[in-house]
Amino acid sequence: MTEQSSEPSGVDRRHLFGYAGAAGVGALAGFGGGRASAPAPSVPVAVTRQTYSPHDVHQAGIVTRTPAFTQLVSFRLLQPSVDSLQKLLKLWSGDIPPLMAGKPVPADPTPELAQAGVSLSVTVGLGPRVFSLPGLERKRPDGFVEIPAMQHDRLQERWNGGDVLAIVAADDATTVDYAARRLTRDAASFAEVAWVQSGSWRGVDASGAPVTGRNLFGQVDGSGNPAGELLDATVWATDPLPWFVGGTTLVVRRIEMDLDFWDRTTRERQEKVIGRRLDNGAPLTGQHETDALDLVATDADGRPVIPVDAHARRSHPDENDNRRIARRGVNYTHTEVVDGRPVTSAGLVFQSFQANIAQQFVPIQNRLDSGDALNDWTHAIGSAVFAIPGGFPEGDWIARALFE
Amino acid sequence: MRRVLMMLVAVLVAPLVACASSATPSAAAALMVESPWVRTTTGAKDPSMTAAFLTVVNPGAADVRLVSADCADAGMVQIHEMVKSGDKMMMQEAKDGALVPAGGHLHLTPGGYHVMLMRLSREFAVGDSVNLTLHFSDGSSLPVTAPVKDFVEEEDHYHSPSPTPSS
Repeated sequence: MTEQSSEPSGVDRRHLFGYAGAAGVGALAGFGGGRASAPAPSVPVAVTRQTYSPHDVHQAGIVTRTPAFTQLVSFRLLQPSVDSLQKLLKLWSGDIPPLMAGKPVPADPTPELAQAGVSLSVTVGLGPRVFSLPGLERKRPDGFVEIPAMQHDRLQERWNGGDVLAIVAADDATTVDYAARRLTRDAASFAEVAWVQSGSWRGVDASGAPVTGRNLFGQVDGSGNPAGELLDATVWATDPLPWFVGGTTLVVRRIEMDLDFWDRTTRERQEKVIGRRLDNGAPLTGQHETDALDLVATDADGRPVIPVDAHARRSHPDENDNRRIARRGVNYTHTEVVDGRPVTSAGLVFQSFQANIAQQFVPIQNRLDSGDALNDWTHAIGSAVFAIPGGFPEGDWIARALFE
Repeated sequence: MRRVLMMLVAVLVAPLVACASSATPSAAAALMVESPWVRTTTGAKDPSMTAAFLTVVNPGAADVRLVSADCADAGMVQIHEMVKSGDKMMMQEAKDGALVPAGGHLHLTPGGYHVMLMRLSREFAVGDSVNLTLHFSDGSSLPVTAPVKDFVEEEDHYHSPSPTPSS
């Protein structure tokens, strides 16, 4: 777990992108002072009609804005082997650059569906079993662990795990479906689909300006996400193995939300459960969404304004030894026929990015599991973890250095 | 694509630099290949042959023709075109090659021009790589590494032995 590398390739690349050491500094310097809501990115970035590159130091789809539609497709390798994994990744690496540029992939039977300027990103991840393949046992990123069972979990095997992940996101669902199908087709010789989770997000206001967005409880969701250097320090692997430079880890939790129970809950209770106002997402101690939480403020009766079991408090870095994650959720509604009748469930496909799952996600989740008021309305019904490598140079293929 | 481009530069710049040689570099110096792929032979009716598809981009000012191709895995390689014979599409060798117009593209696609790879010495399994060299009318050549991909469109156009001309 503590295996680290000082090989030149890793050092050079970290140095080049200027975040060597930033992870250690960010957690200490100036960010620990009770700031609940990191400021919005200093340079607002439009949500829609973007063009992202797969060739940056990091993959797109992690800290880029969440567009309207996202589909996560998890695959199980048919013959778990380094050879088949390499071939899959090579084929995808031929598909992803044209897809993100809005061009057909090689051997594309539906080339007219390729669309440019629709904010398409494809993010590739590798599941835990990859790091038990011959030769890869020592390539597991630091802290890349599976999530231990939580008492509020109601996990269903059909939403769990996977060896390889593709996250496809774009401004419209047709393009997402198209890209996901092309990737699924090209993976078919090597992997079968384990699960597919689709969701939507409204990350713009009526004028098209970026906003945090809301989950299906109506809560502004993601206000506390880190930004800027703090985001970098939260997300990107620190002193990674050479193959994992620019990488991060992802926890996918399918969180079912009891909307019927929520609808019956009074608005006052709803706000106390989260510790934020429903109208604009401001902390109950503040006026604006980006205001810091005041965790010591009390009301006239001496009770904390933000209750001790409020989600925003329980997940706050000040109550988690400064641990943070970067969350990226998409809303889902899922209807299936059970005993001949349609049954609809709803929730959040919750994606948590962090440098180190064991040191960041797991302790925070343990604390939420033991005392988050929101647990009465939410349950994880699926769980998976993936190592997300950095981007890949033009003409190269993703995660190639994993196999060297 | 950078790799392809760099290979192209390596191939084409050398004659440019050593320009005393017979090669006459022309607008073809900027030729590029995009999205190459080769259809898998796994499960094919006739696994001794398949086809390569790609796009050649010619940003130059002069027309160029793709006249031939080499592949170490194939005993015979031809540039093929599809022509209409009565109400049927037939495949035949493009004796004059295929035009890459100045400032334009040549698309080698299923149902159109393709590089026919015959007398294959190995299986082309999905995910393998195939190395080809394309030769153009201006004397230039372009190496291409193409992934082998699955393609489910019915395969008669490319694998039916009957219309394949002898050379």
